[in-house]
Amino acid sequence: MTEEHKDVVLLSFVKLLFKKGSWCGETHVQKATYFLQELLQVPLGFEFIFYKHGPYSFDLNDQITSLRADLLLTVKSRDPYGPSILSGENAASFLERFPKTRERYRDQAEFVAKRLGRKNVTELERLATALFVTKNELPEGTVEARAARINELKPHVALDLARAAVEEYDQLADEAKSFQAES
Amino acid sequence: MDLAGRVYDIVTDPNNILHDTVRDLVPEHNKMDHQYWRRVVRMAALCHDVGHLPFSHAAEDLLPKGQNHESLTIDLIESDEMKEIWSELAIHAHHVAKIAVGPRKYRKSMFTAWETILSEIIIGDAFGVDRMDYLLRDSHHIGVGYGKFDHTRLLDNLRILPKSYTDGSKSRERPSGELSLGVDFGGMHATEALLLARYFMYTQVYFHAVRRAYDFHLVSFLRSWLKSGSFSTNLEKHLAMTDNDVMAGILRAARTRRHPGHVPARIIVSREHYRLLYRRNPDDMKVNTEAAKLIARKAAGHFGNDSVHYYTKTEKGLTIDFPVWSTDGRITSSLARSDVLSRLPVLAIEYVLVAPEKMKEAKSWLEENRIKVITPKKE
Repeated sequence: MTEEHKDVVLLSFVKLLFKKGSWCGETHVQKATYFLQELLQVPLGFEFIFYKHGPYSFDLNDQITSLRADLLLTVKSRDPYGPSILSGENAASFLERFPKTRERYRDQAEFVAKRLGRKNVTELERLATALFVTKNELPEGTVEARAARINELKPHVALDLARAAVEEYDQLADEAKSFQAES
Repeated sequence: MDLAGRVYDIVTDPNNILHDTVRDLVPEHNKMDHQYWRRVVRMAALCHDVGHLPFSHAAEDLLPKGQNHESLTIDLIESDEMKEIWSELAIHAHHVAKIAVGPRKYRKSMFTAWETILSEIIIGDAFGVDRMDYLLRDSHHIGVGYGKFDHTRLLDNLRILPKSYTDGSKSRERPSGELSLGVDFGGMHATEALLLARYFMYTQVYFHAVRRAYDFHLVSFLRSWLKSGSFSTNLEKHLAMTDNDVMAGILRAARTRRHPGHVPARIIVSREHYRLLYRRNPDDMKVNTEAAKLIARKAAGHFGNDSVHYYTKTEKGLTIDFPVWSTDGRITSSLARSDVLSRLPVLAIEYVLVAPEKMKEAKSWLEENRIKVITPKKE
């Protein structure tokens, strides 16, 4: 995927997340993009490491900054809450130029935005950590084992909440599998 | 090193710990653990840039793929060369390396919450002392006033705070509030001054078109001067190579017509650098965000690749969103507390540079072709 196409996919995705009710703070965009790339296999090429609030990509952070520089994205302060990342003034004309790229990954973006759009930071942190632990550390691990690992990595996530997150992730992964088989 | 030690002392001072989650994290004041990490932070700051090549960032592209000055920094800190120093100080090399370069560059092990905070002291987007130090130092040596800010006021007001402000969701569950370096509201204006100083120094000094032209000529020279066209990552060779060696090489090549690096060396020595033909601007960006790149490509097609150079750089780090402690005890986002920060533009430049002998012709060409070149095409 070229840098320009990556911009198109990311920009369309942020717009969609917002439409589906996401607060669109940096954490929301990071975690949702993590699912788009790792679960739905959209080849964005971002490298995610385990960092604050779970998996995090510095490359994605740079990409968002670059989109802000081009006025394709903007950051809006929403006192007394955290800021949101929204479409910028050049976004509409830019996206109009790439109808094919927007169409190519629309269904995958819809899949993620529909399921994660309304989740808050704490829910996204747990769910994304469940994906990270399953994918990178315990692909064959039981629910208990993965929940214990989440609790180890993020001690503020209680075991029962970690367990619920792993179960929710497993269900999401099954749905993603069926979705990919159909498309 | 001095700034890093001061920040460490301020943010770990029990009187400055404003939240229980921070109290749980910070080692007890003046106990062994506290002193251990103080030494680590100071050494990490001191060693943060030991991996730099001659002329710092300018020629970093000439390292083998996947290598950068931070990987050299890690290798040096963890090398046998430094073992004795760490042993005398009773600190672990890998702790120094981790804190010196941060989680983006140190991938050998995960960071604890405490290590993440300590690395923010050195390399954090908003309050990293590396940046504070070079802004103050460079503005002093260059003789410009806009790189200065009230750093003592700022340091005094730094705090470790949880980012516990919510995303406005109706959930009663509060965000986990990952800890981060933030500021007491009393230091807000000093913080604005730091970030404005950074903006002005980047736009007028670090990203200046002439400086970027010389980076280009330096890299062109080094490609022909270095064995196999790249810097060695062998630590002994890295340490042996200095700015002086490169300067002497440039002078020699500039005087020797047969030298493969003669042209860029002569350009540097006689100040015949490439001139600025075009820079990105908001009007053309509205038409096409790729305007500068397209102009560079077309100009290179017209005047030859050797006569045109395209340079682009965008700042890294998303946004200046850090926690601010207000007098009423609330913790809010800096962007909600400061109109200045919420309006600060992202630093981004694109230049199309042209050989001086082609400049006159290139200006006419651009005037004639700019609109046609930047008009976007649909996919």
